[in-house]
Amino acid sequence: MKMAVMSCIHGNYEALDSVLLDINQHHAEKIICLGDLVGYGPHPNAVVEMIRSLDIPTVQGCWDEDIVEGLNSCECSYPSMLAEKRGKAAHEWTNQNIQPETRSFLAELPLSLREDNLCFVHGSPHSQHEYLLPDVNAFLALERVLSTGADVLFCGHTHVPYVRSLNAGELRATVKQPGVEQESLSFAAPLKRIINVGSVGEPRHGRPNATYVLYDTETEEVTLREVQYDYQKTCAAIVEKGLPSIFAWRLAQGLEYAEKADDPTHVCER
Amino acid sequence: MTIWAMLSGIEGNLAAYEAVLADLKRQRTEIDELYILGDLVGATSESEDLVQRVRSPRRGEIEPQVCAGWWEEQCFILHGVSTQSEAPELIAKYGADTVKLLWDAVPHETVKWLRSLNFGFFELDSLLIHGSTVGVDDELTPKTSPVQMLDRLMRSDANNLFCGRSGLTFEYELHQGSVTVAVTTLDRQQEPIVNTVSPRRVIGVGNVGRSPGKATYTLYDPGINHVEFKTIRYGGTGFKVAQMARSAQGEHKPKNSRV
Repeated sequence: MKMAVMSCIHGNYEALDSVLLDINQHHAEKIICLGDLVGYGPHPNAVVEMIRSLDIPTVQGCWDEDIVEGLNSCECSYPSMLAEKRGKAAHEWTNQNIQPETRSFLAELPLSLREDNLCFVHGSPHSQHEYLLPDVNAFLALERVLSTGADVLFCGHTHVPYVRSLNAGELRATVKQPGVEQESLSFAAPLKRIINVGSVGEPRHGRPNATYVLYDTETEEVTLREVQYDYQKTCAAIVEKGLPSIFAWRLAQGLEYAEKADDPTHVCER
Repeated sequence: MTIWAMLSGIEGNLAAYEAVLADLKRQRTEIDELYILGDLVGATSESEDLVQRVRSPRRGEIEPQVCAGWWEEQCFILHGVSTQSEAPELIAKYGADTVKLLWDAVPHETVKWLRSLNFGFFELDSLLIHGSTVGVDDELTPKTSPVQMLDRLMRSDANNLFCGRSGLTFEYELHQGSVTVAVTTLDRQQEPIVNTVSPRRVIGVGNVGRSPGKATYTLYDPGINHVEFKTIRYGGTGFKVAQMARSAQGEHKPKNSRV
């Protein structure tokens, strides 16, 4: 079965529409969404309505959680005071413009989905806020896949797509306890993979194109898709609706403008 | 030579704490630092006296450095100073009656002091903590999988992780590991590379107060990376000490901070 997995739409209806068309052209039989339907972008209600109407299985992202629970993550959420000011402005705009049924839909989203040996989360299996970057420590990455019991972990949140294979993982340990004979432990893991599906509505891979992933469950082939769309239309809507204009600039560049957080694996204490 | 003494899980048992202090005084080598890795209090009437004893060491005694544990977290929940509003874990483990016992045992002023405690300590290349950086309820035991142990060490970038949640004394050494990694992005395909792991340890420091008449704790010499587990029998005619030593060598990265 050919499956399409997408994430981080962020209220960008134009991008979503183009990605859905691309998915249709590639004859994917199933679509799964990894959350962050809202935030930053100008069309949060329309995006949620589209996802709902197509009955796309979706997990809850960090922005979806923030809109439901309120902004109560710890101070590490933003890498700078400037980023915090802009992020909070986007949150307040989204919070004011979102319809009750949209909020209810976001509140009911699960944190993970499972299909055979595939697991789907927004950030990591431990938190919607954890960034699984492509260069995060390999054993830490392996633990995230193993903690799900799956062979393939699909995630988003970083807005940069990648496929990371973790092969022939092995660890050896000894355990000493008073009064107990020393025990030797060994651990081995066959091939595991992390597939980050990038971002439909707010890409950060250096180009403004929307990204998502096609996955063939029979052949296990992964295709990173990059889809052109009229991003300038979304940029204009961002400015027109009173969202911080820096978000339009960022969307047009396909870049993160702010400095990166020191510890991307840090999990907020909410 | 520098020696750290590490205790955890006193759980409001004042007699057990006194027995450990007495044993520390009997050591051939002077103790330089005394760390209490959480669960200072418990649902016992002695908890408040124990807190005062810890906060006011007698002449010649080391001032303990204390971090918060699972029982402290239950106090925070009951007194409304936690991110959680209910204590299902406390009720599930110890029954609903324990809620009132703990409420009565630890007054609000003491809870405010407990709330000011660190979540853990980072000394040299070692993390000293009740559970792990994942949480106070994260119980690392000799049965924990190697990959999970390594994850807990990597999260804090520590070579040694001293913890107390399990109440057990153990030394869990990860001495070898590898994984082959390859990354493909939209613009490049990386050749597979082998990542290896350097030796690291998780040490369970024991439990002082949970078992009446028996306390366990840990001594550590960071200079030579030597761990020694201590078991004390107390009560009755006096203290009977059994010593069990375990040692290991390792490298050090200078680092000092509070977590």
